[in-house]
Amino acid sequence: MADNTVADSRYNYFFLYDGSKVKGEGDPTRAGICYFYPEETPLDKQELLCGQLAGVSRCVSELSSSPVRLLRLRRSKFAIRMKGDFLWALGCSVDIPDVSICNLLDQLINLFSFYNGPIRKSYQIYSQEDLAVRWARYLSHLQEGTTELHHIFSCLSTIDSTHIDPLLLLKAALILQACQRCPLVLAGCILFRGRVVSTQMSPDLTVKVMLLQVLSQSTQSTPKEVNRPRKSRLLSRTLSDTPPSDPPEPDPARPAPLSLHCPSTPGSSTSDDLLFSPSLSFHTPPGPLSPSPSTVSPQISYHSLPNGKSSHEVEEGVTGGLHDQSLDSLEGGDSESGLIGVGPVQSCDIPHDLNRHNGDSMALDGEKAGALGFRGQNSPGCGRRRTGIVADEKEGHRGKVQLADTGDVPPAPCENSSGPPLTTMTLYQHRVRGLVLALLVEPHFHNDTAAVEEVYHSSLASLNGLEAHLRTTARGGAGPQGPYTFAHYDCIQNTLTTNLSGRPGGAQERSFVRATSLLHSHFSHTEALQEAIVRNAGAAVYATRSVAQETYFLQQGGALRNSGIPNHQDSAFSLPSKARHRLLKHGVNLL
Amino acid sequence: MKCLLIASESAEVLFYWTDPEFEQNIQEQYGASQEEGEKPPAFEDCINTLFAPIIISCSTMVDRLGDGYTSFSTENNHSYVLHQFEECLYIAVNGDGEEGEEDLRRKIYVMKKMIEVLFGVVTLSSPLLRKELRPQDTEQRTRLWKHLQSLLETYSRLKEQDQSFLVEAVERLIHPTLCEQCIEFLERSLVQQINSSVERAGEEVLHAFILVHTKLLAFYSSRNASTLTSSDLLALIIMVQNMYPSNIDLEDCAPEDVENTSAPDIFYTPEPSPTNRDSGTDGDSVSSGRYEESRPEEGSHGGRGTPIFQFVDPDIQMAEDSLQTLECPPHDPSTPSRVFLEVMLKEGCYPMMPHSMYCLPLWPGITLVLLTKIPKSNLAMSIYVFLEAFAKLEKRLSEGLEGSAARGQTSIQDLRNKLDKFIRAVGTVDIQTSALQSVWTEFKSRAFIRGGHGFNRGLVPWCRGMKTQLCGVYRQCFMAENGVGGGGPQRLSPSLQDRALIMVQEKLIDWKDFLLVKSRRNITMVSYLEEFPGLIHFIYIDRTAGQMIAPSLNITDRATSELGKGPLAHFIKGKIWGLVNTSRLYLQKGYSTVTLRDGDYFFCYFLWFENETGYKLEVKELPILPDDSAPIGMLAMDYYRKLLRYYSKNHQGEVVKCYELLTVHLGVIPVEYILQHCSQLARKLWEPSRIPLL
Repeated sequence: MADNTVADSRYNYFFLYDGSKVKGEGDPTRAGICYFYPEETPLDKQELLCGQLAGVSRCVSELSSSPVRLLRLRRSKFAIRMKGDFLWALGCSVDIPDVSICNLLDQLINLFSFYNGPIRKSYQIYSQEDLAVRWARYLSHLQEGTTELHHIFSCLSTIDSTHIDPLLLLKAALILQACQRCPLVLAGCILFRGRVVSTQMSPDLTVKVMLLQVLSQSTQSTPKEVNRPRKSRLLSRTLSDTPPSDPPEPDPARPAPLSLHCPSTPGSSTSDDLLFSPSLSFHTPPGPLSPSPSTVSPQISYHSLPNGKSSHEVEEGVTGGLHDQSLDSLEGGDSESGLIGVGPVQSCDIPHDLNRHNGDSMALDGEKAGALGFRGQNSPGCGRRRTGIVADEKEGHRGKVQLADTGDVPPAPCENSSGPPLTTMTLYQHRVRGLVLALLVEPHFHNDTAAVEEVYHSSLASLNGLEAHLRTTARGGAGPQGPYTFAHYDCIQNTLTTNLSGRPGGAQERSFVRATSLLHSHFSHTEALQEAIVRNAGAAVYATRSVAQETYFLQQGGALRNSGIPNHQDSAFSLPSKARHRLLKHGVNLL
Repeated sequence: MKCLLIASESAEVLFYWTDPEFEQNIQEQYGASQEEGEKPPAFEDCINTLFAPIIISCSTMVDRLGDGYTSFSTENNHSYVLHQFEECLYIAVNGDGEEGEEDLRRKIYVMKKMIEVLFGVVTLSSPLLRKELRPQDTEQRTRLWKHLQSLLETYSRLKEQDQSFLVEAVERLIHPTLCEQCIEFLERSLVQQINSSVERAGEEVLHAFILVHTKLLAFYSSRNASTLTSSDLLALIIMVQNMYPSNIDLEDCAPEDVENTSAPDIFYTPEPSPTNRDSGTDGDSVSSGRYEESRPEEGSHGGRGTPIFQFVDPDIQMAEDSLQTLECPPHDPSTPSRVFLEVMLKEGCYPMMPHSMYCLPLWPGITLVLLTKIPKSNLAMSIYVFLEAFAKLEKRLSEGLEGSAARGQTSIQDLRNKLDKFIRAVGTVDIQTSALQSVWTEFKSRAFIRGGHGFNRGLVPWCRGMKTQLCGVYRQCFMAENGVGGGGPQRLSPSLQDRALIMVQEKLIDWKDFLLVKSRRNITMVSYLEEFPGLIHFIYIDRTAGQMIAPSLNITDRATSELGKGPLAHFIKGKIWGLVNTSRLYLQKGYSTVTLRDGDYFFCYFLWFENETGYKLEVKELPILPDDSAPIGMLAMDYYRKLLRYYSKNHQGEVVKCYELLTVHLGVIPVEYILQHCSQLARKLWEPSRIPLL
């Protein structure tokens, strides 16, 4: 909940406005509002914001013959995306760097099109209410980054590798590689409690897949839907039709589709190339509610469970029941924990040229890079095959994987010519308590029972083992902090290493975050800048960057008395050597 | 692709400036929607139509959300910056990537500063300013707008070319002996002689200074004059440059620039301006009533008589043949410009007090500037005091603090007596006060009924009315008079001006060529190279005095400069300009020390405080300003003055000085050496900057 309050102060508004609905003089602005967050905003304020911002954006983009990217007001700012008649706006406080808020909006839009296909089509297929639930979910997913720093860099949350036996990471990578022995598996990632353990996918793809974690938790926690003895064929459908448990009073009759995120091309950082291309839409299970020990208040429940701490306990409690009943078609019961991985299958939209991108642009190091060269990559052009796979698996048992053919979902037409065409893909998911294995597979993977079995069996035991290890070690908590604060951002893998806790810290920590955000924006628009030291009365921050990384360092301790006049004995100028020295033990090499 | 627009809340264009690309862009857009054969609408109308939705949306947001736009940016990196001053909305646009949002914001503030210098206290009344900026008479409007446009262009040119306008501090010619001689000459001979002459028509020279291009050779202020602020001095230099544009390198300029530089000659063509047709004989009768909306019969006078701009940029004159047919008399060099400058006296600070500025061109590139106090200028102070009193009263009333407003009874009674006296006094000196008189009577009858119970919210509009009337009287006294044909403009007699000119010419004739060269090679990097190997450039600024020193950076295609020539020199110049912007960005967020390794270069920026003896004072937490705060600098809003005031709070009774140093080194020099250089430079440069202004 704390997360939510923090999040709320971070982004104050988000809306999607469809200008095509408001053409004539008499058309009310509200007709064009597809989604508005926060939803409880009075309608006249919604209309004011949408009407004014959309109007001004249009006027400015006509003057400049280019879409508006950012609108700033005295007390807030809005990242804007305009595409055709649609306009997305994400508002936040003025402290967030421009580059961060714009990235975030792109992520959000991509998340949507990743799971739902092109925007226009989605709004034709699904009801506005359904999609509103999805938008809400995507929003909350993106809001729950761990710290302010994560938001500045819009980076993936990863497990803290300094407290984990490197062998475990290796093991995770090997599991992924093993899965790739099946030619239908393109790439995969392993997540643990909302954090990435290992991934073969590009960061922006990974961040989309990560929404799964949230989703699958919710699925499990809604026993109803699973209770129905159904063939998996129906399951995917069922899931999307089942009421979300999130509304305060769950109404089983109300269809509650799930929201998921969107993709972007691994190679290209600009995300919009994907989102407007034809793609596949698919259903996801409804919002979670964890009627769980960790009392999640109903209203925010669909803001998905907090990352990380996302209760392992919750799952256990909830899924137990689910498991027993839903799996009765499987042989045997759950032996111990009753944990289940329900893998809703999503077909996701992947750019046509995914393989090419992966092939040449991914600069992941070592093994990852190797793993990325997808095999069997003849992903069919824009063929629209829609398939869903549902894999139910039970720990310690032979999982049974069921396939659902969702071919009857209306295909997405190529309504937008811009951007590379999207390709339909399928996501396979295997869950062991807090651990999730997600694989991007060829759409016809599900047809190949042998392949499914092979993947399932080859990874099952290792996943269980990995989960057990991670569970015990991950409890370690934050390690001892040194007399310094640092943040190390890997631009390629989009990950952040820092010794800064997520909690609001003292003056120096705030000052570190402020300097970091300023320097990060400076780096982002000054290509040649390599190193910087900035100092105010309280603290000096050193920042350095290369093509692949950015590092920020602050030496704690009382600021030495100084006059600000140039003085080569000034301690601020010894920061670079201190940083080089100190950060070595965090695996950061600045030499 | 650049544009600057001032609009009223009702989306009326009060002023615009665009570069040719922007104009073309707008016309193309408009042309597209234009029917075949139809005459294209006036450019002003196009720009009005295109910007109106933005302007209206802006005021809607302010009204309904209490939050206005500050900037827009588009995917192709066009920037729009918006700022509202009172009821005027300024919008600056850039579409060619040459200016960032900071630059645009600065431009807006500079524009506002120039308007304040030209219109003075009138800017405090939005309705009056609106009329002032947009005279109904098309001719007049065109002339005024041309003038403002050329001021803006002059500023932009200086900011691009001149380091002193880059960092917004005055650059002095470093030649202590000559400088001292000149100051002495200005004091003992020139100013004394003028001020004791009978031909001075009641004016008194307060400040006299000699500019060589944009650089200050000597500056003298008379004993009883208040200090001229850096902000005002910089604004005046822009005006002088606008009148007598000087290219940095006369002999190196491109053909079109040659025309430019020869342009000042026009001023010597003896073409008297006989009739002042636009002002005519009715100037005296320009009544304050034209500002009173409720008096339409007098309002018909509107749109006449604001020819405070005697000088119009000659280039524009030549270029616009359309204008030549307009009756715009060529600049009469002996007519002063009316400028409104800040005056600091023991009794207090009076912004925007009227002065006359005489620019006497000694030779092309060298100008003598005299600033005089004009008769009746004490009227301006009284009016300002009344304005302030009404503004305070209005504020208290609208905040619902009737009680405290009433408590201020004594001062209000005081105000009443003084204002009564003032109106009587003003009435005797040929100034129309009937409108002021009637509003004041109305005010009194409402306010002073039943023992002061009249002080309530209902009085707020009357406070505003009084302010408008006072501004109207002020305008009559100090702006209309200039163009009045009747008694001839108030000024030092032309023959007195001629004598002054000749005196200074005689004094400086031997130095003339030296000065022109010196202004381009004020100090040179060569003299620092031996001591500071690897140093490429530096700028040292004394923010307390508002002065800077930097090696010359003249980049022209033919002459080899300190930086060499060609692309590399331009590249480094670009880096320096960028560094100044970056350092401001960090200073705005409270960082007073910044070092950057950028490509092959290493940049340092330091800001520190000293007391008078050079003792370094401890650094203090600097204020963190919002992104849309006034630009950091001295020209438009004096950030450093506020900074010094803020810092001095803990140093009562001590003179606090603020310095800045920016350096550019080769990146291969070890950082320890670079820092050593910086501290040595700061020590070495401390001395020259102590040459007193006075």
